[in-house]
Amino acid sequence: MSALTRTQRLSAQLGILIGPASLFLAVFFICPLAIMAIYSVLAPGTYGGVVWDFYPHNFGRILGFADPDFEIYDPVYFSIFLRSLKIALITVLLTLLVCYPAAFQVSRLPERWKAFGLFLITLPFFASLIVRLFIWVLILKKTGFINVALMDMGIIAAPLELIYTDGAIILGMVYIFIPFMFLPVYASVEKLDWSLVRASQDLGANGIQTFFRIILPLTLPGIVGGSIIVFIPALGNFIVPAVLGGAKVLMLGNLIEQQFLSARNWPFGSALAMLVMASVLLLLYLYIRFEARRGDEAPAIR
Amino acid sequence: MRLLRNIGAFGLAAYTLLFFAFIYLPIALIVVYSFNADPVNMMRWSGFTIDWYKKILGFKAVVSETALYIESIDQLFRAVKNSLTVAAMTTTIATILGTATALAVYRFNFLGKKFYRVLMFTPLLMPDIVLGIALLIFFVSIGITPGITTIVIGQCTFLISYVFIVVSARLAGMDRTLENASAYLGAGEWTTFRRIVLPQVMPGVIGGALLAFIISMDDLVITYFISGVGSQTLPLFIFGMLRRGIKPEVNVIAVMMLTFSFAIASLGLYLRTRQR
Repeated sequence: MSALTRTQRLSAQLGILIGPASLFLAVFFICPLAIMAIYSVLAPGTYGGVVWDFYPHNFGRILGFADPDFEIYDPVYFSIFLRSLKIALITVLLTLLVCYPAAFQVSRLPERWKAFGLFLITLPFFASLIVRLFIWVLILKKTGFINVALMDMGIIAAPLELIYTDGAIILGMVYIFIPFMFLPVYASVEKLDWSLVRASQDLGANGIQTFFRIILPLTLPGIVGGSIIVFIPALGNFIVPAVLGGAKVLMLGNLIEQQFLSARNWPFGSALAMLVMASVLLLLYLYIRFEARRGDEAPAIR
Repeated sequence: MRLLRNIGAFGLAAYTLLFFAFIYLPIALIVVYSFNADPVNMMRWSGFTIDWYKKILGFKAVVSETALYIESIDQLFRAVKNSLTVAAMTTTIATILGTATALAVYRFNFLGKKFYRVLMFTPLLMPDIVLGIALLIFFVSIGITPGITTIVIGQCTFLISYVFIVVSARLAGMDRTLENASAYLGAGEWTTFRRIVLPQVMPGVIGGALLAFIISMDDLVITYFISGVGSQTLPLFIFGMLRRGIKPEVNVIAVMMLTFSFAIASLGLYLRTRQR
């Protein structure tokens, strides 16, 4: 037998199991993020690249303390940030409104149909994202399905401006994020104790009261979870605006892409990305607080 | 009151049908119109044809100049080949590393285990664009030219987490008494692992690998930032075509991709339901 003790052998096993993945993530995940964080406070070089000086004005250009030597503060970047925030929030709200009632219906189906319904909702998640967006280009564009149909029927004379609008971006995002919202919401709805709903009705509460004081609080965890899962990819999204938003509608994601691939101001692009990351981390922190508080006070019915 | 409730139930059912129609009608639409003969406006129906399919599959030479839309079939095939190469490599790496990590977290108690679990989740919570540009900066600053290798590395950063989660879920539902029984009956650690743990965890590993493969084939944002000349993947190819204007052939590619991913996903979900 080998001279290794049991502890030594176990720690060797542990090392072999988690070593490679840990090393991989340290080098290719944590390290890149750290470099990006450093880049965001370096000065941009004249011809792309960076100058190794501390330069807080990358954030200043967005938040209001631009480099006094070069430019006066222009709120355009901050307004793009607010716009992206607004579009992401509307997307979350609409996705929720679309999924919530359907989750109730699916949860009350007989077992086999329920499984089939869930299958139908999960399936698009596996289909190519770009293909699903492409479909909406075909439907919404000037010579697309809707415009051609309406014009052939003589309802409109000139094509409507459907694509390259905020509405198109939101529609595209709602379409691709439906599975993300539906599954967490469904998990909550499925667990809903209907005897509480009946009790509320027996005690004389009307439909609206029952909904707001029983159903909504009990399904809140799913709503919050789904909203976060949708909000994160929606905020910095650049594929949907690039495909359905055209050149006019700029979102944070496109702005970041521009800084890296055409404007070549990497520090500024990094600062914008840090802003996206900070928003997401803040949100996750609040979510963890929410979850912890919910754990403390037992049932959340008032 | 009863009538009201019936109306409500009917309304909810009707709404749910609309909900599914919203998801699937657009997909049905693109499938139907991929057989549209009109070469100029793809969305104005002017007759049934399978010419676009023939062209993509190489059965029909492109004759008329106006029909020569797709830049190059070669480019498309190269993109498919790149995507498959990347997906094969990422799936292998992510499955091995993700499974190993899941096994470690399941079997061992070690310092910082909680933190480690959180670490495994962060790549999934990181917005794609942030990870994409961080990797771009990283590869450029250490002097690695973007290409297949960088795409594989970049995608693995989050695919490991997917495999980890799927395999962990499987491990959590496992019966530990079998392991104890096996040890009690005198099987060595390795035998127990090979004969008891591995067969039980295998469905999770396959599920994780399948998920990693599909997500790798579909990844656009991260790949977009770290792909180089000649390493264009299929989603990037389509993204590029969309930006330059849409041609009937894209329709066909889209339908073929939908069919492919639906087939794989159905297979995966079918296997999962059979196991229960």
